[in-house]
Amino acid sequence: MPNSQAPDSVSAQSRPHHPHSRRTFLASTAVAAAAVAGGGPLLTGCGAAESTGRGGTTSGKDLKKLLPTYVASKASEPDIPGRNGSSPGFTRVPEELTASVSGKPGKGGTYTAYTPLWGTPPPKDSAYYRAVDEALGARIQWRTQDGNTYGEKLGAVLASDDVADIVCVPQWEMAGRIHGAISAKFADLGPYLSGDKVKKYPNLAAIPTEAWQMSVFGGRLRGLPMPARPLGGVVPFYRQDVFEKEGYEVPKSPDAFLALAKEITRPKSRVWACEDMWWSAQIIFGCPPEKPYYWLERDGKLVNKFETDAYLEALEWTRKLFAAKVVHPDAVAGKANDAAVRFTSGQSLMMNDGDAKWYGLTAEQKDVNPEFVIQAMDFFGPDGGDPVIYQGAPASIWSFLNKKLSKAQIEECLAIADFIAAPYGTREQRLVDYGVEGEHHTIRDGAPVKTELGVKEVVDTYRFIVSAEATVSYPDHPQVVKDYCGWMQRMGAHMRKPLFFGMQIQEPNRYASLATPFEDLAKDVVRGRKSLRDVQNAVSDWRKGGGDKLRDWYAELLEKNGSGV
Amino acid sequence: MRPGTASAPERAPAAPPAPAPGGRWHRLRRDRSLLLMALPAVGLLVLFVYVPLIWITVAFKDYDPYVSGLWSSPWTGLENITLLLEDSRFWDAGANTLAITFLQLVLFFPVPIALALLLNSLLSERLRGVVQSVLYLPHFFSWVLVITVFQQMLGGAGLLSQLLRARGYEGFDLMTDPGAFKFLVTAQMVWKDAGWGVIVFLAALSSVNQDLYEAAAADGAGRWRRMWHITLPALRPVIALLLVLRVGDSLTVGFEQILLQRDAVGPGASEVFDTYVWWVGLASGDYGVAAAGGLVKGLFSLVLVLLANKVAHLLGEQGVYRK
Amino acid sequence: MSVTDLRRTGKAAAPGTADGPGLPAAPPRQPRRNPGRPVWEEDPSPVGQGLKGLTLLGVCLAILGPLWVVIVTSLSDRRTITEAGGLVVIPRTVTFQAYEELLSGGTVTRAAIVSLLVTLVGTVLSMTVSVLCAYGLSRPGSFAHRPILMVLLITMFFSAGLIPTYLLVTGIGLQDSYWAMILPSAISVFNILVLRAFFMSTAPELIDSARIDGAGEWRILLRIVMPLSKAVIAVISLFYAVGYWSQWFNAMIYLNDAEKWPLQMILRQLVIKQQAPQGMSQMIATQQVPGLAVQMAVMVLALIPVVIVYPFVQKHFTKGMLTGAIKG
Repeated sequence: MPNSQAPDSVSAQSRPHHPHSRRTFLASTAVAAAAVAGGGPLLTGCGAAESTGRGGTTSGKDLKKLLPTYVASKASEPDIPGRNGSSPGFTRVPEELTASVSGKPGKGGTYTAYTPLWGTPPPKDSAYYRAVDEALGARIQWRTQDGNTYGEKLGAVLASDDVADIVCVPQWEMAGRIHGAISAKFADLGPYLSGDKVKKYPNLAAIPTEAWQMSVFGGRLRGLPMPARPLGGVVPFYRQDVFEKEGYEVPKSPDAFLALAKEITRPKSRVWACEDMWWSAQIIFGCPPEKPYYWLERDGKLVNKFETDAYLEALEWTRKLFAAKVVHPDAVAGKANDAAVRFTSGQSLMMNDGDAKWYGLTAEQKDVNPEFVIQAMDFFGPDGGDPVIYQGAPASIWSFLNKKLSKAQIEECLAIADFIAAPYGTREQRLVDYGVEGEHHTIRDGAPVKTELGVKEVVDTYRFIVSAEATVSYPDHPQVVKDYCGWMQRMGAHMRKPLFFGMQIQEPNRYASLATPFEDLAKDVVRGRKSLRDVQNAVSDWRKGGGDKLRDWYAELLEKNGSGV
Repeated sequence: MRPGTASAPERAPAAPPAPAPGGRWHRLRRDRSLLLMALPAVGLLVLFVYVPLIWITVAFKDYDPYVSGLWSSPWTGLENITLLLEDSRFWDAGANTLAITFLQLVLFFPVPIALALLLNSLLSERLRGVVQSVLYLPHFFSWVLVITVFQQMLGGAGLLSQLLRARGYEGFDLMTDPGAFKFLVTAQMVWKDAGWGVIVFLAALSSVNQDLYEAAAADGAGRWRRMWHITLPALRPVIALLLVLRVGDSLTVGFEQILLQRDAVGPGASEVFDTYVWWVGLASGDYGVAAAGGLVKGLFSLVLVLLANKVAHLLGEQGVYRK
Repeated sequence: MSVTDLRRTGKAAAPGTADGPGLPAAPPRQPRRNPGRPVWEEDPSPVGQGLKGLTLLGVCLAILGPLWVVIVTSLSDRRTITEAGGLVVIPRTVTFQAYEELLSGGTVTRAAIVSLLVTLVGTVLSMTVSVLCAYGLSRPGSFAHRPILMVLLITMFFSAGLIPTYLLVTGIGLQDSYWAMILPSAISVFNILVLRAFFMSTAPELIDSARIDGAGEWRILLRIVMPLSKAVIAVISLFYAVGYWSQWFNAMIYLNDAEKWPLQMILRQLVIKQQAPQGMSQMIATQQVPGLAVQMAVMVLALIPVVIVYPFVQKHFTKGMLTGAIKG
């Protein structure tokens, strides 16, 4: 009856647009692109697993042979240089934009590009696209898809014969068998980019090696990466303006956090202390990151994140926050997507969210609420000491070139990618990010500001083909750049690499969904619907259901490839 | 069928529709234009439903759409089905689904009928029109908005909680209470779609001959007796049809609606069949298990709908098709 | 007119209803346009009227209350929304900013035209095919009607899933075609079954006698069944139209070209934008995309078709329209 009111085929197909808050975080870490100079040490090699369901990774000599040579860009000097692994910061625009590409890279070809897009798609035939295509000397036919539902369609598209020439695949959409599809459908770029060959494309050569290392799929260099910041991703934010006004002290230990949260919470005035802090809790208590980087080595044995005390402690602390009713009720109801709205309106004063919110909310609130100040608190350890922060993956969005393209076409695509990968402070970067001066943007106080047409037409599409080394560059809000870089440098001092850092790992198909129950379990435990006892039971189920075999599989991987640390 | 109550034909041949004399060929010749009429719809269904259904064989395969494709994926026998049936979450999801379906049958299903009767009893055409229009509105809201509205009203920081707190009482949070969840989704369903469900019943009521009421009144039948003997019988075929189909669809309860609220109460209370298949199958790329889930569900539904149809026949109703 | 006359007509009109009440039926008359209470109806009881009124009031409030909040929020400015911390109940300022942003640039207008055309063409197509099929299967004991019904019924419970359907639809060349929004979901078996149930209950005696008189099936459908089934045809058309109007999934899957998108797809993008991955907010913020107010404005826009189309459909739900149809 309920479904029978409309044509059933229509209603039966309605899918959730945003089933998963994890995507949110993963996407947030990914888009803020970043880089670290130099790759990790590479140990002995092993044969790479081809696309089959057996999975594997590539490292050592094999990997070294595949990777492009790194040649730093000389485009512009950051005024806040990277330290402790932090991304370089730019607080202003260089006086003179440089050119990183000479002439037109393209040869007049036309390519289809299948990429995610968050927001309303711009007109297909816009002055912006025409201007960039003109500069590229080639035409890109965009097939942009809603980023929130990207994965649902991606699977179907990859199964068809009509795969676009350039296809973007984010890490978080590589569930199930998509990983294997990449090797089956996309071209090996090694013959064009490995070693010194990349020097033909200077902007691609300036992409950090670690990001390239993550772009090796099925034993071949296949991806064009979007480099990610080593730190950040999920940042614990607080309302500095409210804290100062009310005289709240920024907490320096889990206990202090809880005490402060109780002090802040006043439901009658619609104020709750925080949003769901589970992601921060995992960092505070030193949990290893997400799969496949969720292993620790202890006494020569691999220990999974779910088996660690840190994981249980993080759960228990978060549960205490929920039990104390200091978490905003809408967050308890799982509406994580609106966290920023509650945060900006002062209904909650602390939240963990994607690092891009730092600038995003600052810019958004500038006119509406001039007093609004968002700030990140420093992570602390379980006892208030130094935290252990695991470094994030150096890249988690790639685009791939269709296997069916000819050699000449692949070379043309790479030349186009080289143009798009132009670093901060170049004319190419300005064109791609802001369109044509006078038409799509004007210069105000030295910084480019989009015009109305620019807002409509210039959206981030080219960035999903490839990106330059990530920077923190907000010339219109230099304070955010300073705060953010400072935070990254302080936190960078406590940063360490997870065991399999920088490796593109494909777990065997039969273990692919082994970790899935823990996501729901964590939500149940922190909300008091399940106990730590249930977690321990789930861990023993996990071990029996294949966890121990998976451990052996990783141990073998470790033995053959060495660690990424 | 109950023609007498729904219509009053002028010429009323008493002969029931005769089972056709003559053989199969005679009937085929006689009914060829009827078959021709059914053809376009059947053709569309065959093309867009049956042809892709070949893929349901992946329920018995280790299917990889990218590397090996449908034909060369290896057969695995009943492995996917076994995996499915051995998973305790599958059975929990099934139990939740049936519980919600039951609640909907009891609490949702009668609402549109009651509303239709209420509307039908209104004398003022204008008032009826206005109320009807209002009733249909929520159907045009997407689930995202319906749930947002409920959260803003009944959530822990919602309007009602805040009103209570302002008067010094404790607030409450209905949206995160696993115990109340099944009632909550039913309530949302009623809010969104009960008004829309009225339409079919109004259409059925509109074909009731008004003179029947007058005649009954002349015979001394009161308000309630007229409703019982004239109005309700006119609705019976539609009610029976909808009931049979709803029972057959027992394993389907609002997918998007529940998925959106899954985090609020946890899978223990909210996992239903479709969300289970979605998580276990599609989200982790295990198309074989997903197809097995679809197959099991389809068979179960088909059996249910045939049984329900049988029961309808025993009660003298038409159901989906005649005996 | 005598009571005996009534009884006789009533009996004759209700053959084979053994368990039916066998109520008398009056000879047909001109439809009553119902200017007031019929003469034969007893006076309402005050308690009954009061309860009825209260119920109606409650039902309408339950719907209009939230709707009020939605409309007020869509007309509020940023500051009001921020202060309210979400939906706004009491209007402070009225600004049409959200609507202006929505309707500027022509995207929404173009999408609305696409939606309108798809709805129109789709509904006509779906109705033609469904009415034909429903009638084709409505003759009791007709050749092969049961196996065909089974073929229809099975499709209600089995579906192949996303990937196979996608491969088929793109395989027959519907990628980026408007038909991809119409053909794959053109048939609702549920609607066919409802139509069929109505056709079968609508004056089977008339149809039988027409058949005995030698009228062809096409003629019977057009001249007898369709005029008698205006109400259900209106209802099912409405179901199909609403289905097409609110559909977005097919557009998302099959249309790469955003310029061919229907309104719902565009509106959906706008609604979800607030939930876009956080990292994207950088772009969203610089683009000055409005938040909650736009979302709510989108909801209000989604209601517009119902407000426009409904009056046309409503007249088919008038009491006792069938009497007139038969007489005429």
